[in-house]
Amino acid sequence: MAFVKQRPIHIILWIISISVAAHGTLALAQDQCRACHEAIGDTPSTLFKRDIHLGKGISCADCHGGDARKEEMEEAMSKSAGFTGVPKGDEISTLCARCHADAAIMVKKYRSTLSLEQAELLSTSVHGKLSITGKERIAQCTTCHGSHGIVGKDNPASPVYPPNVVKTCAKCHANAAFVRTYNPSLPVDQLDKYRTSVHGMRNAKGDAKVAECASCHGSHDIRSAKDVKSAVYDINVPATCSTCHSSANYMKGYKIPVDQFEKYSKGVHGIALLQKHDLAAPACNDCHGNHGATPPGVQSISKICGSCHALNADLFSKSPHKRAFDQKNLPECETCHGYHDIVVATDKLLGVSSEAVCSWCHGGAPTSKAHLVAKNMRHLIDSLRSSESAATLLVDEAERKGMEIGEARFKLRDARQARLESRTMVHSFDEQQFQQIVDKGLKVASEVSEEANNAIEEYYFRRQGLGIATLIITVLAVSLYVFIRRLERRQRTKQ
Amino acid sequence: MIGNIESDMANESRIASTDESKRDFLKYVLGGGIIAWLAAVLYPVLAYLNPPKQGEVEVSSVKAGKVKDIEKDSGTIVRFGNKPVILVRASSGEFRAFSATCTHLDCTVQYRKDLGVIWCACHNGKYDLAGRNIAGPPPRPLDEFKVIVQDEDVLISKKA
Amino acid sequence: MKPLWKRLYDWVDERVELVGLVEFLGKKYVPVHRHSLWYYFGGVSLFLFIIQVITGILLLLYYKSGEELAFESIQFIMSKVQFGWLIRSIHSWAANLFILAALIHMFSVYFTKAYRKPREMTWVTGMLMFFLALGFGFSGYLLPWNELAFFATKVGTDIAGALPFIGKPVMVFLRGGEDVTGATLSRMFGFHIALFPGIFTVLLGIHLVLVQRQGMSEPLGFEGEPTTERKTMPFFPNFLLRDLLLWLLVLNILAILAVIFPWELGRKADPFSSAPAGIKPEWYFLFMFQTLKYIPAQVLFIDGEVLGIVLFGLAGLLWTFVPFWDRRSSRGERNRFTNYIGIFAVIYIILFTIVGWLS
Repeated sequence: MAFVKQRPIHIILWIISISVAAHGTLALAQDQCRACHEAIGDTPSTLFKRDIHLGKGISCADCHGGDARKEEMEEAMSKSAGFTGVPKGDEISTLCARCHADAAIMVKKYRSTLSLEQAELLSTSVHGKLSITGKERIAQCTTCHGSHGIVGKDNPASPVYPPNVVKTCAKCHANAAFVRTYNPSLPVDQLDKYRTSVHGMRNAKGDAKVAECASCHGSHDIRSAKDVKSAVYDINVPATCSTCHSSANYMKGYKIPVDQFEKYSKGVHGIALLQKHDLAAPACNDCHGNHGATPPGVQSISKICGSCHALNADLFSKSPHKRAFDQKNLPECETCHGYHDIVVATDKLLGVSSEAVCSWCHGGAPTSKAHLVAKNMRHLIDSLRSSESAATLLVDEAERKGMEIGEARFKLRDARQARLESRTMVHSFDEQQFQQIVDKGLKVASEVSEEANNAIEEYYFRRQGLGIATLIITVLAVSLYVFIRRLERRQRTKQ
Repeated sequence: MIGNIESDMANESRIASTDESKRDFLKYVLGGGIIAWLAAVLYPVLAYLNPPKQGEVEVSSVKAGKVKDIEKDSGTIVRFGNKPVILVRASSGEFRAFSATCTHLDCTVQYRKDLGVIWCACHNGKYDLAGRNIAGPPPRPLDEFKVIVQDEDVLISKKA
Repeated sequence: MKPLWKRLYDWVDERVELVGLVEFLGKKYVPVHRHSLWYYFGGVSLFLFIIQVITGILLLLYYKSGEELAFESIQFIMSKVQFGWLIRSIHSWAANLFILAALIHMFSVYFTKAYRKPREMTWVTGMLMFFLALGFGFSGYLLPWNELAFFATKVGTDIAGALPFIGKPVMVFLRGGEDVTGATLSRMFGFHIALFPGIFTVLLGIHLVLVQRQGMSEPLGFEGEPTTERKTMPFFPNFLLRDLLLWLLVLNILAILAVIFPWELGRKADPFSSAPAGIKPEWYFLFMFQTLKYIPAQVLFIDGEVLGIVLFGLAGLLWTFVPFWDRRSSRGERNRFTNYIGIFAVIYIILFTIVGWLS
């Protein structure tokens, strides 16, 4: 054969193309599993055509074992060739983890940026608990990701693509009969509620940025809401919501503020929940809802606040303010107290001074009834506070002087109680009712002050009494002494 | 010399008479002092013997009243040392007693017959008749006290 | 017209014949020397005891024994009863002053060797009264049923329980049970108002009769001086009036203490709470308490605490029977040895009381 004079680059290209072709043919020749199964057109192989693993060169035998080069079923799918068949139960996740938890494979070989901890997180999550058969975990990797048509989560075909996640979770979680076998009290209407929420509505339209199940609950590390490590544990909820809602970048285009978490953290509820760990304090979901999260409408705000602050809401609804606020379409509790950055309700909020909220509407007309009522109420509550503290000071002084004042101190509790009750009664905006409560407190405070004053007077009386007694004794002692001296003098002269 | 003796005697009697007046003065002061002293001692003792308005020590840590005086399905506040205790008599006739200090912000609770619960007027906290916090802000149940019915009397004491 | 007191005297004399008694009393003389001052302390102790009896009876009108009521009844006395605060504070202060006066009286008698023949029984009855006084203090301390008293009683009876052989039964006897409970309170109350006063009165009677019968003891050097040089004063009325004057001043001191430094009530005892830190007994037990703290836990084969108690017991016993082993004083000779022992005892007690107080 005559060799054409070749350039080195041509030789190299030849070698490459032959080997590629050979490889392809070889590969084709190697993957007999697919060849056969695609021929019979079964579902796994059909799905597998689009699988991400195939694209990376991973095929049937890499999970199921066996010899992919053999044409004959008995040889290809024999135990001696390493065939393990369809993995069942926990075997599935162990199989996936064999690669997905191995840095040497994932990072070095495939240069993947995926987490390596999914399997471990799953095992400690709530889904990692044993199922009702007791033989395997509740969920395996394939439960959510599928088995043969696995694609990346940014692929709209994936069951874990954000808009699809909801349906994937609902497969179990919206099935009442299924959930009942694990926890009869667990709700199954999350999906329905979710669809009424802003998140759910946008999600239905295909928005992949908006929150879905995994955004709040996590994906592999899902824990019960009662578990302190859960992202949806009461104390953790605000931080979870703020992962999206506080990021100006992420929220671009949604046209809502991003300062809620900041404001909330500085408000009473935020401080109570996040700093004092008071679980009774509301987190975002307590006012906005969990799955059906929507900002509350203007008229329903007082109902929502009133679910905890029942007395105040009740009084407000019966007060003249209710009609006025509804007419002006003002949100009820929120107008005076704020919503995210709720300040501590001190007496300063009441009255007609510049700091008082009443003056926003009633400040301008000094002769109006409302103005006068507000002014009077502030005056009353101030006088109650000052008489209570005056009484406390007197009791403290009597106590310091060593006088028995236990009973008066006990009575002081009633004055304090009246002060607390009056702060609630403010919301009736009824001068008479308010006056009644304040009068109760003032009466007690004055009684206590009187008792304390009596005790202090008694203290001085005792010292005065002592002075007089000492004087008498001194006079008596001196005269007795003089008497003795005289007696002895007489005795001496007699002798 | 006689004149000297005479004047001496006169002097003596003068000295004697001034001595005597001194003696009388001293006797008056001494006598008066003794009487004043007796008064200063007897006044407190006699006042002490006079029983005070509240005739005897009221120890609500023991008796809360008589069984027949407390209606069924009612509650009353009783002073236990310097703490308030609420004594509730259920409609079954059984007595229960709890600390009347609300576990939320220390207001004094009361029994609400219409609601059938122990209620706190300050922020609408509710406790059932076992003292458990069932609604509102209270974070903890009420501490329970022991109630013993001895003959006619209802006695409250600390739960051991 | 006879003065009133003369008429009264004659009326009684006609029936009881006081002449002999009056003559006898009229002959009583009290030696006057540089140690005469100490003679007054017996009288002061007696006065303070009388104050205790009077204030004690007054308190008894309002005090209620028993766990539920004891503390509250004293609170009642302090706050509701007129001058109740005065009676109670005087009672508490006088108790301490009584023990102090008794201590001074005892040591002054010791150093002047007044216990020597023929006054051995006076000394012994006096010592027994002193131990009773400590018992009064211990039992009375528990009666308010406050925190300090509860734990002090617990510790004190624990120490009694450490005695060899008899310790446990003694402790159960004192406590009215295994632990300090309401039963202990009842028991201490009975001791305080009935048992101890009864025994004390008998001892006091013997003690006073002996003193009247035998007259005041003269210090050892006194007999050496010629009769004419010996200065004396009649018991009636001189010494008695001076005694009364001193009693008046002591009464004033008590009033000042009661008003300016009222006795505290503290917190009601709660058997289930733990003892407050730094608990210690009243000052008159402090030197023994502090000594026990310094004795190592084990000395040879004996438990440290037991050793301490036994040593104090022996010391008390020896001290009580000093008239019988101090032969030299009975013979009228000087005995430096007993002086040194006495000085050692005084310094020891003062030192350890101070150390105990400061720690």
